[in-house]
Amino acid sequence: MMIIVVVCMTIALYAIAKIGYKKLPLPIFHPLLLSPILIIAVIIIFHVSANQYLIQAQPLTHMLGPATVAFAIPIYKHLAVVKKYIGIIVTSITIGSLVAIFSSLLLALMVHLNNNFLVSVLPRSVTTPIAMEVSKDIGGIPTLTTVFVILTGIIGGIIGPSVINGLSIKSPVAKGLALGMSAHGVGTNKAMEYGEQAATFSTLAMIFAASITMVWGKVLIPFIITYLG
Amino acid sequence: MKIITILLQIVFIHIFLFLGATVQTLFHLPIPASMIGLVLLFLALSLHIIKLEWVEKGGNWLLAELLLFFVPSAVGVVNYNEMFSLQGLTTVIIIGVSTFIVMATTAFIADRIYFYKERDVQ
Repeated sequence: MMIIVVVCMTIALYAIAKIGYKKLPLPIFHPLLLSPILIIAVIIIFHVSANQYLIQAQPLTHMLGPATVAFAIPIYKHLAVVKKYIGIIVTSITIGSLVAIFSSLLLALMVHLNNNFLVSVLPRSVTTPIAMEVSKDIGGIPTLTTVFVILTGIIGGIIGPSVINGLSIKSPVAKGLALGMSAHGVGTNKAMEYGEQAATFSTLAMIFAASITMVWGKVLIPFIITYLG
Repeated sequence: MKIITILLQIVFIHIFLFLGATVQTLFHLPIPASMIGLVLLFLALSLHIIKLEWVEKGGNWLLAELLLFFVPSAVGVVNYNEMFSLQGLTTVIIIGVSTFIVMATTAFIADRIYFYKERDVQ
């Protein structure tokens, strides 16, 4: 019973945020920022703890599994373009994934971030399940990494259009790759606004970034961490 | 009617998720079940074992509403007291700056190679 109430409440507030964002596309109205804020307000009013909410909302989180599987569909539909641009995908994502790890690392070292945060922030650029795996591998705190992954998605979804316009990126290939590399599923969701081709490349970026980050997590990051002592 | 089609297709997509979980357990793979499921669905489509129409509507709905499935995890951020400290705020800024750098670098590199390649073709 509680599950139905919580799931319906979440869907309703998400729908409101989505409509609001369509009418007035301000960063603060981004559905992944506005709907959690509305939900937090509601659960505070009704004296529900965040943990109780999370347990009841489990069916929604579960849907991330089949949604990840469904990413096979755009790839299958656009296989010809994928084959044509495989070189661009491999080059830009290999570099992008390294930039993700090293930029977080350098920034974290610059501000003397504590060790748990530093290690947990490194795999934040990829989709949640993979980021958690990598975090576990390199001695981070997987739950903390999940928080960083979500924050990355929210920030990426918000700044995405400005970065793309600011750099006057024209090709849907580059738009998609940049969004999928920097902001995983949330970026891919944003890429849909630039058309199906951008969405496909974003999906590919996300998958390839996840795979190669797993490799970095096994061979590169442990080496860096040992070196840093 | 359309809702029923979408629901049935989502149920069907779950089969690939469960197959993914089975493959993961059998071979002790360090890859999440959903990623293996993705590969299996892709193979099933490519080898014409299943038709695109069997999964397309449900799959498109899942992808279009993807943000909804992230919402509970975003609410869960309030559980991390560490986030509501100077350390947490600093981390948010680091994530913002790094995400910007990653997005800009990837976009720039991909765009350059793309136009280089296109010019080559002509």
